[in-house]
Amino acid sequence: MPEKLLVENLTHHYPDEYTGESVHALDDVDLSVQEGEFISVVGPSGCGKSTLLNILAGLLPYHVGKVTVDGHMIHGPGPERGVVFQEHAILPWRTVNRNIGHGLEIRGVPKAERDNRVAQFVDLVGLTGFEDKYPHELSGGMKQRTAVARTLCADPEVMLMDEPFAAVDAQTRITLQEELIRISIATKKTIIFITHSVDEAAFLADRCVIFSRRPGRIKAIVDVDIPREERIWGNMNADTRFTSKRDEILHLVREEVSVEHEE
Amino acid sequence: MSIFNDLSIALQRKIGRQRLRKWILGSIPFIFLIILWEMNSYFVWLEPVYIPTSGSVWEAIFTLQEGCEGVAAAVALDNSCLMTTHIFSSIGRVILAAVVGLPLGIAFGVIAGMNRTLSKFLEPIGIFFNSISGIAWIPLAIVWFGIGWQTTLFIMLNTIFWLLFFNTMLGVRGVAKVFEQSVLTMGGSRWDVITQVYIPGAMPSIITGCRMAMGFGWRALIAAEMIGGDSGLGFMIFTSAAEFKIEEVFLGVIIISIIFMATDRYLLVPMERWTIQRWGLVWKPT
Repeated sequence: MPEKLLVENLTHHYPDEYTGESVHALDDVDLSVQEGEFISVVGPSGCGKSTLLNILAGLLPYHVGKVTVDGHMIHGPGPERGVVFQEHAILPWRTVNRNIGHGLEIRGVPKAERDNRVAQFVDLVGLTGFEDKYPHELSGGMKQRTAVARTLCADPEVMLMDEPFAAVDAQTRITLQEELIRISIATKKTIIFITHSVDEAAFLADRCVIFSRRPGRIKAIVDVDIPREERIWGNMNADTRFTSKRDEILHLVREEVSVEHEE
Repeated sequence: MSIFNDLSIALQRKIGRQRLRKWILGSIPFIFLIILWEMNSYFVWLEPVYIPTSGSVWEAIFTLQEGCEGVAAAVALDNSCLMTTHIFSSIGRVILAAVVGLPLGIAFGVIAGMNRTLSKFLEPIGIFFNSISGIAWIPLAIVWFGIGWQTTLFIMLNTIFWLLFFNTMLGVRGVAKVFEQSVLTMGGSRWDVITQVYIPGAMPSIITGCRMAMGFGWRALIAAEMIGGDSGLGFMIFTSAAEFKIEEVFLGVIIISIIFMATDRYLLVPMERWTIQRWGLVWKPT
């Protein structure tokens, strides 16, 4: 399979907002992502995983290393890399329909075609009946469904997700995770999913990238070889293929957390 | 009693209980004021030289409107139709100042709000000019523009512009970064961010700015017309007072208040309801 996204020797420092001291966020990160792959990135808080995502999204300029999508160096944000943010990122002044069609609107797609595509994604994420609601009239889960549909509808090459389900309640989160699996099968998108939840990382991804504590390095990459069609929470919790991988990832993450505590 | 009951129920059905309650409660002070006024006419606690009777204020309308024929006369600045002439003169300036001042203030406010360097550049001078209240500019404006419409328009524009500028700037600064980022990552341009994120996101502040601008601007305009104008309701009040036509002064004050209340209620409040309330950006009483 061809390489979709390539990160080489990426190192990043940024000045701390309050002290002004240089923070070493990423250290020599190498990562190659195949087309259609689902990658999760997990690590202790403050490990630089969000910094990585912001660089991939083009929202943060980088100076050391190289990031390419389909062989092209990235400079700034671009529609080929769609982002699903943590929460409250859909525009409150747009209805569900207009939020989802926003990317197409920016691209100048005619209204008739846009409506057609939007309806397709409204259906895919299960928001039928809520098309004309404003975000403040939706539940947290529905807002994130809208956010996912908005990113998908713009048809990006790579979908970057920054802890998108962190703020919804546990029940909804499980449903959204299963839906995301279903959507990834249907759309065959390349997905990079940032999370601090080990369960979520193991459940969703083909490959799980574990970050060390700051400065963020890739500590390990764990393959989770379970076909996506089989990934349903009802089955996974009793499936040793899943539980063994989850425990392995958990162990790797906890090593980082405990090192931090000993210091 | 049953007639009153039926009437009350019919009214409540028609306009709604909450609105009826609000309407009744809101009109009590006015009714009280009118009763007090009528009592003064009857008992003459204060001479009509100070407080005219309601009848004479009513008659003042016809005195002022004397010799009024046709639409042209109602607007033209001559000695006919004085009341409508002055009303149109004031309203015309308010509209002109709003049409020019509001977009200008919003535009500069957006630019200053989105650009840190530029806002550092513009903010001190903005505070400097804004510290002088609108009407304090009148003497200077008279020197620059003379007595007339230019002076009154300048005073109102100056008041409107700075209020919109500051409110928009603060509003734009308060818009969550993630909205801008989401539009940029969908391939949006700077212009897309301005029109689709900054302006709607700053709408709560912009609307507050508009309400303040209309309130302060309208007051500044009346003051400017008194001192530096040759027409308008402020001018009318001032000249009438000089001629001891106290009933015309009262009439002028009442007209000003009614126009202002109507603008707020039928223009600015619906605008608020249509935008930020619909978007869930304001706390809404249930």
